[in-house]
Amino acid sequence: MSTVANTPTRSWPPRGAALLGWAVLAAVGVVLLLAPLIFDLFWLSQILTQALWLGIAAVSLTFLYRYGGMTSLAQVAIYGIAGFAMGNVVHTINSEGGLNLGWTPWLGVVFGIVVAVLLGLLFGAIASRSYGIYFLMITLALSLFVFYFFGQVTQLSGFGGIRSVSRPGYLGDPITHPSPLYYTCLGCSVAVYLLLRYMVRTPFGIALQGIRDDPGRMSSLGYHVALHRALAFALGAFVASIAGVLSVWFNTQISPGSINIQQTIAVLIIAVIGGLSRLEGAWIGALAYALIDYYARQHTPTLGLWLNPGRFATIIGVVFLLIVLLSPDGLIGIGTRVWALVTRRGREAEPGTAAAAPTAEATLEKAGTMATGGPPSSGRQEA
Amino acid sequence: MERLRRLPRGRLAVIPAVALCALWIAACGSSSSSTTKSAAASGTTTSSSGSKSAPANALKIGILSDCQGDFGAWYNSDIGGAQAYFIAHNGAKAKGPVPSDGITGGTIAGHPIDIVGYGCANDTAASALSEVRRLTEQDGAQVVIGPLSGDEGIAVANYSKTQPGKTFINGTSGAQDTTLKVRSPNFFRYNGDGAQWSAGVGDYAYKKLGWRNAVVVMDDYAFGWTSAAGFIADFCADGGTVTRVYPPLGTTDYSSYISQIPQKYDGLFSAVGGAGLLDFLKQYVQARGNFKKNTLAGNIFLGDPATIAAVHASDAGAVEGTSTNEDTTSPNASAYIAALKKAYPAKTNSLPAPGTLAGLASSVFTVNYYVAAWALDKALTAVHGDLSNGQAALHAALAKTALPDAPYGPVTLDENRQAIITNYIAQVSGTGVRTIYKVPGVTQTFGGTFSPTTPSPGRGQPVCQKRSLPWQGKEQAVSFH
Repeated sequence: MSTVANTPTRSWPPRGAALLGWAVLAAVGVVLLLAPLIFDLFWLSQILTQALWLGIAAVSLTFLYRYGGMTSLAQVAIYGIAGFAMGNVVHTINSEGGLNLGWTPWLGVVFGIVVAVLLGLLFGAIASRSYGIYFLMITLALSLFVFYFFGQVTQLSGFGGIRSVSRPGYLGDPITHPSPLYYTCLGCSVAVYLLLRYMVRTPFGIALQGIRDDPGRMSSLGYHVALHRALAFALGAFVASIAGVLSVWFNTQISPGSINIQQTIAVLIIAVIGGLSRLEGAWIGALAYALIDYYARQHTPTLGLWLNPGRFATIIGVVFLLIVLLSPDGLIGIGTRVWALVTRRGREAEPGTAAAAPTAEATLEKAGTMATGGPPSSGRQEA
Repeated sequence: MERLRRLPRGRLAVIPAVALCALWIAACGSSSSSTTKSAAASGTTTSSSGSKSAPANALKIGILSDCQGDFGAWYNSDIGGAQAYFIAHNGAKAKGPVPSDGITGGTIAGHPIDIVGYGCANDTAASALSEVRRLTEQDGAQVVIGPLSGDEGIAVANYSKTQPGKTFINGTSGAQDTTLKVRSPNFFRYNGDGAQWSAGVGDYAYKKLGWRNAVVVMDDYAFGWTSAAGFIADFCADGGTVTRVYPPLGTTDYSSYISQIPQKYDGLFSAVGGAGLLDFLKQYVQARGNFKKNTLAGNIFLGDPATIAAVHASDAGAVEGTSTNEDTTSPNASAYIAALKKAYPAKTNSLPAPGTLAGLASSVFTVNYYVAAWALDKALTAVHGDLSNGQAALHAALAKTALPDAPYGPVTLDENRQAIITNYIAQVSGTGVRTIYKVPGVTQTFGGTFSPTTPSPGRGQPVCQKRSLPWQGKEQAVSFH
């Protein structure tokens, strides 16, 4: 890392590397846009579409952690609330569970998201004055509360959940024709990413990062710390609720089994293995999770008493441990290192850049770091 | 200073990470052996399923069970049940002592058998759905045998409607809605639902045990409700009254549910299953003392002598409703047990006690998967292996397939492709199970009590009221001793 210190912001990255970067990005974009032509139905649906909506759920956690310093375990509960709220009010075929009020699907979407955001705001208000392990515990309790609530209140769900939830007509049958749902998830992912990128650059987002780094100082500057945290939580809830709606369309149903503690942990794992330092990490983590989950279920061998197909989660756990051990910053961290290796030669060929770092540019860079958010500082940071 | 400079450089770092993942899945995705679009980047050989060496006309079968959750222990019991049939009757060979090791060889009506994968769900609809999609859409299964659990069955039956060219034969899931409400044309169930497995018990309890008010404790999900519905329909038909208690599936601390049970009642019917039953009974005994004689009845899960012994109810006795019998001496059952013994003779830790497949012969988890494989064999043979035209001939044949020689009594299908079965009433003690009555011709509708338009079994459903049932007072005494 020291060899690349003091690189001027404006001239970095070098033209060649930038070109390469954009070319790769364009290639990924093309692959994503043409995915229905490239992949078969199963991959398009069960791997890519699932990774996209799981990524949206995980990015709500990445956002809260990265910019708000809040490790929330309630994101799955919130997307469950959105899913159940929508599932209850829209039409279900055969009246299979839920209230079946017969609303149109789009009205159901709006209702689901509004309910989830309002409850998210309430959750946020409850949790916003606690930090670190206490915040974690409160959100975990909320998550379990929601799971048991829907498991117990059979009028709204019950163990079997709500089945055959109707969808907007353009989606058709997402099992036999997954493309419309895939593009919907892709569009939502891009929109959510842009929204969060925008939000962290607004005065609200910068104040939030200040609160993350030093709530005491921000409070003495006159910021309402708890309110900022609660609002950030509500923003996270909005993002998670989109994932909730998409998950119901994807699964055609929702049951408490879809939002149990395993799923809560899964979303945490996705965010961590993807890398918490960047929002993109959520989708990369989700893709990795979908792939590992699929292959582990498929290929876990029987090794005496130690391993059998029923313990595929062991394989998943080992792979995740390896990722986190090899790269504490998840897959994004691995990407960073690979990129550093690729671009090092180009930079070494430009002598002098390593030494000259004008103060003004360093300051500018610092401001930029503030805006995009540096890694959580070690000062009064929790988690 | 150093830290501050990391991020701008890292901004593009996401690109190689995304690219690597994209390349990876491009390679994997294209190698999948299933249908539809072939991918650009071909030539990889990471195809996972066992199908890569299978001949072109192989019949691809997926077996869907639970490897986690309340019923995860019976994973190999399910797989073993289905495969033991193929081993005994289709010339397949076990690859190892544990059923999930797989099988090789074997043909059905000229099609080599290719088990493409085992589904590993956890009794939730979500997991069953994702696993059945893996088996059919990715591994290319043409026939799925499964699933295990109630809500999974409803989810898979609904899913089967989106795959009209494939065949789904229920494993052992027993929710009523699966066939009575969903009525998918390519989903077939050759076992009774939970209510059918309780048929006759309520009538027996009212007339022979003299119960007038009963407590019904049921797992709070589709199978628990269905199982209890069978008892309630019978018991209330005679004029009994019930108090219902609903512990959720997966409960470990039953104390709050035990406190809901009234102090005075004539009998208790347990529709608690899987891992929860022993916890429930033990905690009940701790809280309320031992069961009095002739006050305990239950569904199929109560038919385990070890459970009865563990709660010291041996003297009190217990009555279970069951679709199988452990003590039978019928040649059909003997042939079935011999098939299990031959296919998987070894004792293994992968099976629940007693550790052999033959020891689990009367478990619904084994026999219903066995019967499902049997029905598939019989129907496909009847149409000479015709899988053309979206398996239309096979679907028609399956709907007509009857199994008069099924291990524990003849099975035929009704118009919803749901089995009509013989049910049994048995006494369970700490040392064994003794079948005392049989109830032939148990239909899913309970003589019109249940229909596609009646409310599904659930909390408070069915309503407790007097009605007439086809088998009221017509149970036939049997004795295998």
